[in-house]
Amino acid sequence: MRVLLVEDDPTLRAQLRVGLEEAGYVVDEADNGRDGHHLGATESFDAAILDLGLPVLDGISVLKRWREAGLTLPVMILTARDSWHEKVAGIDAGADDYLAKPFHMEELLARVRALIRRAQGLASPVLQCGTLALDTRSGRVTLNGQSVNLTSHEYRLLSYLMHRPGTVVSRTELTEHLYSQDFDRDSNTIEVFVGRLRRKLPPETIETIRGMGYRLVAPP
Amino acid sequence: MKPAAGLHWMRSLRFRLLAATLVAVALALVLAGLLLASLFRDHVMRQFSQGLNAQLDQITARLEFDAAGQPQLDPQALTDPRWSRPYSGLYWQVDGANIEQQRGVLRSRSLWDATLVLPSDALADGAVHVHEVKGPDGARLLLVERTITRDDLRATPWRLIVGSDLRETVSAVGRFNGVLAASLAALLALLCAAALAQVAIGLAPLRALQRRLMLVRAGTAQRLDGMFPQEVQPLIDDFNAVLDRNAEVVTRARAQAGNLAHAIKTPLAAMSQAAAAAVQRPDACADLATLVEEQVGVARRHVDWHLARARAAAAQGLPGARVTLQPVIGGLLRVMERVHAERRLTLQCAPMAADLAFAGEVQDLQEILGNLLDNACKWARHEIHVSATPIESAGGGRLRIVIDDDGPGIEPDRRDAVMARGARLDESVPGSGLGLAIVNELVGLYGGSVQLYAAPIGGLRVEVELPRGIPT
Repeated sequence: MRVLLVEDDPTLRAQLRVGLEEAGYVVDEADNGRDGHHLGATESFDAAILDLGLPVLDGISVLKRWREAGLTLPVMILTARDSWHEKVAGIDAGADDYLAKPFHMEELLARVRALIRRAQGLASPVLQCGTLALDTRSGRVTLNGQSVNLTSHEYRLLSYLMHRPGTVVSRTELTEHLYSQDFDRDSNTIEVFVGRLRRKLPPETIETIRGMGYRLVAPP
Repeated sequence: MKPAAGLHWMRSLRFRLLAATLVAVALALVLAGLLLASLFRDHVMRQFSQGLNAQLDQITARLEFDAAGQPQLDPQALTDPRWSRPYSGLYWQVDGANIEQQRGVLRSRSLWDATLVLPSDALADGAVHVHEVKGPDGARLLLVERTITRDDLRATPWRLIVGSDLRETVSAVGRFNGVLAASLAALLALLCAAALAQVAIGLAPLRALQRRLMLVRAGTAQRLDGMFPQEVQPLIDDFNAVLDRNAEVVTRARAQAGNLAHAIKTPLAAMSQAAAAAVQRPDACADLATLVEEQVGVARRHVDWHLARARAAAAQGLPGARVTLQPVIGGLLRVMERVHAERRLTLQCAPMAADLAFAGEVQDLQEILGNLLDNACKWARHEIHVSATPIESAGGGRLRIVIDDDGPGIEPDRRDAVMARGARLDESVPGSGLGLAIVNELVGLYGGSVQLYAAPIGGLRVEVELPRGIPT
């Protein structure tokens, strides 16, 4: 899952980045509204965390421009002033949720998880695909109730597919959402990780659709 | 800061008043001067030609004709000595009908060897004509002439001409004009002085006002004291009101900053103490993280509380504030639906009058209802009902907003406790525990009330009464 982080305070940005990366997200960041808007409009993300008080272009304007351009990615806004006036303005500009500073990292992560699930129309925090289950809160994967040990890369790949059960996901889409923009996208790492996942799960769980990509199928 | 010199002058009230007065006065004086000069000149000329006419009458009366019909005039019969002194400035002449041969058949001695040349014109018998010509010594002459014909003989018309030098008249007119110009200039100077005095006296209160303002700016005075002319007094009153409000806001802000600083010092002291203890005994600081977390939480509550109070206090004393209820509730319900989307709650808002308004600031109303709705959403199982109705009471119009939820509600004996500052009945639901206390404080500042009841749909009912805005 790839998250865009737009926050001008370097300390808070670094903390958020560490927290998000520890929770298994790939993070791209910007320290001002203009760069943040550009990243959001040109790259693929699963969610954005947007501070309202940004230099160059304020958060509300960034959000309005994204929404005017038809961008639907879920957006969480961060506000320093905990006033309802600002919350109403943020939601009316197209935000999906807000969080007032200061906040706990756990709360932010819970809200971001919920945003990403909601964007895919999934209600439960535990994603189910047949006997395969993934708990987004704890990051635990079980097969027939048995715990499956995954590395963080394998977990990210499976989590992305579990968020889109039955959908064909192209290798490009996977690369875009599992790695930050600095990553060398020509490598065939996706194939390597799909191979590793197939060894840990029933091999037919991840189906290869030739020329199109991969699809998650409920394991028997 | 200083504007350009030209602009500065244009923007000066004194300059404008002076310029307008001086232009008007100068224009009036010039017009009066021209009129007086022309009146005087007309009058003098009329007098002059009347004199000439009298002379002409005298010549006419003295003119006689001999047997051959030739005119005769006895110079002795004319009394004025100027008739005989050469180039005296007073002349007479008689022309015949055949102007080439009979020009100047008879002339006054004063003409010496010169003749007066008149433009020829058709003349009715006896009528008097006036001409201006060059005289013998080059001076301008005013001439009056009359044509006469003897009735009893062969009708040969004769032109009788009397002329006089204009030099004296012109110099008299010149003298008069000089005196006139001098006196008008003196009058102008006097009026200018009067205008200056008028502007200085008229604008004196403004200068006094400026001095008072400087005192206010220097900090030696709190407001603009003294009585001012009734034209500026309303302005002064308004300005004083702004100054008073400013002073009040500053005082309140100082007090609040002081309160906040004081409140934050306690958690800071606790953390500082813990840090010092941790330095001395690094092995026994397992609780340090918990303590910091706790104290930061305390400090944060203080900050939230004081910020909310500051917002509420800033709204006070703004008369005429008014905000329509419906859009505010609509905006907040949109926020709730989005933020609590997980819970799949049904938020119902009963229809309300479109012009139902709260007499206060929009931010305060958002703060009150936002906190209440957020609370309701946190506790509700499925449903939240919101309604707002106007109520009539003794102290002007009020309105009642009711928010019901179907959550667990609050036991009657614990309802007072939740309104207290910082109280949280259940620590498991996120929140700073300030929501209801802030609502209570804000509503109190507006002279309203918050009541908690059991909701008919099972949970908590919050009833808020607030002053109602007058429909516009």
